[in-house]
Amino acid sequence: MSRPSAGTACVVLAIVMIGRPMSAGPLRVLDLDGRLVDSLAPAPGVRATVFVFITTDCPIANRYAPEVQRLTAIFASQGVRFWLVYANPQEPLASIRNHLRQFQYTIPALRDPEHDLVRFTKVTVSPEAAVVDPGGVLLYHGRIDDRWVNFGRDRPSPTRRDLAEALRAILDGKPIAQAGPPAVGCILSDFLR
Amino acid sequence: MTHGGPNPRDFRPGASSAALLLLVSTALAAAPQTPEVTFTRDIAPLMYEACASCHREGGPAPFSLITYDQVRRRATQIADVTRTGFMPPWKAEPESGAFVGQRRLSAREIQRLQRWVEVGTPEGDPRDLPRRPTWPDGWLLGTPDLIVTLEAPYTLRAASTDVFRIFAIPLPIAATRYVRGLEFHPGNARVVHHANIRIDRTPASRQLDAADPLPGYDGLMPRSAEYPEGHFLGWTPGQVAPLVPSDLAWPLEPGSDLVVQLHMLPSGAVAEVKPSIGLFFGHGPPRHTPTILRLGSQSIDIAPGERRYVIKDAYTLPVDVDVLAVQPHAHYRAREIKGIATLPDGSTRWMMHITDWDFRWQHVYREVSPIALPKDTVLSMEYTFDNSAENVRNPQQPPARVSWGQRSQDEMGDLWFQLLAPNDRDRATLTRDVNRKMTAEDVIGYETMLRVSPDDAELHDDVALLYLGLGRPADAVRHFAASAAIKPQSAAANYNLGTALAAASRLDEAAVALRRALAINPGSATAYANLGAVVLQRGRVADAVNYLEEAIRLDPANLQGLNTLSSAYAASGRFDRAVEIADAALRLAPPGPLAAEIRSRREAYRRSLKPRRRAADPKP
Repeated sequence: MSRPSAGTACVVLAIVMIGRPMSAGPLRVLDLDGRLVDSLAPAPGVRATVFVFITTDCPIANRYAPEVQRLTAIFASQGVRFWLVYANPQEPLASIRNHLRQFQYTIPALRDPEHDLVRFTKVTVSPEAAVVDPGGVLLYHGRIDDRWVNFGRDRPSPTRRDLAEALRAILDGKPIAQAGPPAVGCILSDFLR
Repeated sequence: MTHGGPNPRDFRPGASSAALLLLVSTALAAAPQTPEVTFTRDIAPLMYEACASCHREGGPAPFSLITYDQVRRRATQIADVTRTGFMPPWKAEPESGAFVGQRRLSAREIQRLQRWVEVGTPEGDPRDLPRRPTWPDGWLLGTPDLIVTLEAPYTLRAASTDVFRIFAIPLPIAATRYVRGLEFHPGNARVVHHANIRIDRTPASRQLDAADPLPGYDGLMPRSAEYPEGHFLGWTPGQVAPLVPSDLAWPLEPGSDLVVQLHMLPSGAVAEVKPSIGLFFGHGPPRHTPTILRLGSQSIDIAPGERRYVIKDAYTLPVDVDVLAVQPHAHYRAREIKGIATLPDGSTRWMMHITDWDFRWQHVYREVSPIALPKDTVLSMEYTFDNSAENVRNPQQPPARVSWGQRSQDEMGDLWFQLLAPNDRDRATLTRDVNRKMTAEDVIGYETMLRVSPDDAELHDDVALLYLGLGRPADAVRHFAASAAIKPQSAAANYNLGTALAAASRLDEAAVALRRALAINPGSATAYANLGAVVLQRGRVADAVNYLEEAIRLDPANLQGLNTLSSAYAASGRFDRAVEIADAALRLAPPGPLAAEIRSRREAYRRSLKPRRRAADPKP
């Protein structure tokens, strides 16, 4: 058990020393222990990184928990890395940990207290997803699917799965379809008021 | 609008010099610039009044909206959802009337929220903050006389679609109580979206619940789970139906179960749900009982893609009434709901208008003051359904044909009224008339469901019973025959068919069906009793006596058998036996018209005895 942690320490050290060109700034965010994490750290087989922005008390984001897990299960083995990003700076750590447990999330979680990642990925609400390539280029940002059309107006099941379609296109090396209408959820900019 | 003249807005501050002075002096007293909209002065009162009853610690809403920090960190969203009318949740348009618990922001209030966001959500002077309201913990209507709860919590999985679950909760009362109201606590307000509540005086719901190993069961409530006579029950978030006065309380009989159907929206996490219900009793039987009228169509049949499918219904009031409450009901494809009263003088008034029907906001709309409607007023409804792909709530994509039915994937369109007649005689007239109207529509609903499921024997049985009640035995025969064809080995099905054939005066066929029932179950006293009655009508008196004696042997307390047997003996001239059997029947008959009828026939038989004896006595 001591060896992997030593290895992790090395990697962190290396990042700090070497740094990353360009977009690396906002992509280095805090994990739940308050450590800086390079969310795009190269890892074998990783071809794209997904950030799913959530808050613990947004009902729409919470209802997506099973769907986010499902997508992770499908795409993790195909070289897609998933991060949950808790985007409410006021959220106490304990309630984030409790939320992860309660919603049975197995995806690693990050915090974005200054909304650096929010701005970089251009997301506006919780829940919303962004896909970034290994070089830090934003490939997709928007809704997970078309289930919610507006507050109080949702389909029993989605008819278009935007995030899954974008990931499939990326993995197939095809152009990504135009993002659909804006995601529906809790407005993130309010949390910085 | 200003036609080139000065902008009227420019004049506003100068409208009154006194107001201007006041404005200046406050501005001087406070900070150099008091924002035009502040949280403490303008926004907090709105939150307290219209939002915080749900959006508070322990409330049914997902987050609190009470403190400045809580509100400003949702500010844009609050401005958005109030502008679109999603919040506060109140589906009835203003013209529908004034209802208890009404939550509706005025256009000015909505505008004030937008403006607050535009000016940067300033907090304002803390001294402006009104006193924060308090909400009592626990029961809002007082201390319940009886609290019932689920024995074990129901575990709601983290699925993504809505879940409907029905629970039968026993009500431990030793004698009839009179209920003034009930208060529903969802037990997990995050996931329970609304509750339909009924009373079942039969074990039917209990048995369905017990048959499912987990708490509650999926499916439909049985027919025996009903509203108490004249009253609506149910729960929507943030609402508590007030107690009715004691003289309107409804009777709750021992052995009844509370049947609760929960509509749950899984939160995304596994959740435990354990609702509890407090009941509040009055002192004695009510002096008044309202009547429930249901308008609607049960012949709904909507083609896929149909964007404007309209149903209509109307009913002319046979007496004066007060409308106490209105409850619209429809499923996912309904879009607009209209309920209108047309008075005898031709004037009209809205009773209910919803332009964006949402199945998730079922609500009983209770009038703040009863609406008096005179005799001959026409209550009418018109609902519009959208079964196209454009209706995002359409549960079927691509859209499919949908017809009337009670499952959430079927479609319904009802408008219920709670009506109070001024006196018992008018109430009896109204109730009789309304029940006739509603049963006629129920029959149409069954016929609609049977078009979809022609092999459902239970549907055939249920509708046949309704036809018998409506005095339409030929239709009852049609359905009992279908039921018996589906389950030819069922004694009950053949018995039902025989009974309906007898009611339709098709006696020989009735006898055949009853004999078939007896071949399957020779121990049925009622089948022998009915067979005896049928052959007696055919004039086969000796056979009738045999069948009826067998019925009485199997069940000496079969009142109908005894009564018919007494007639059979009289028909065969054996008046002594006829009197004897009539006496046995009279010992069992409850006081009432049947007992009176038996008594008068017994008297006739007794009189017939004497001349026979006299004639017989002088026999050499």
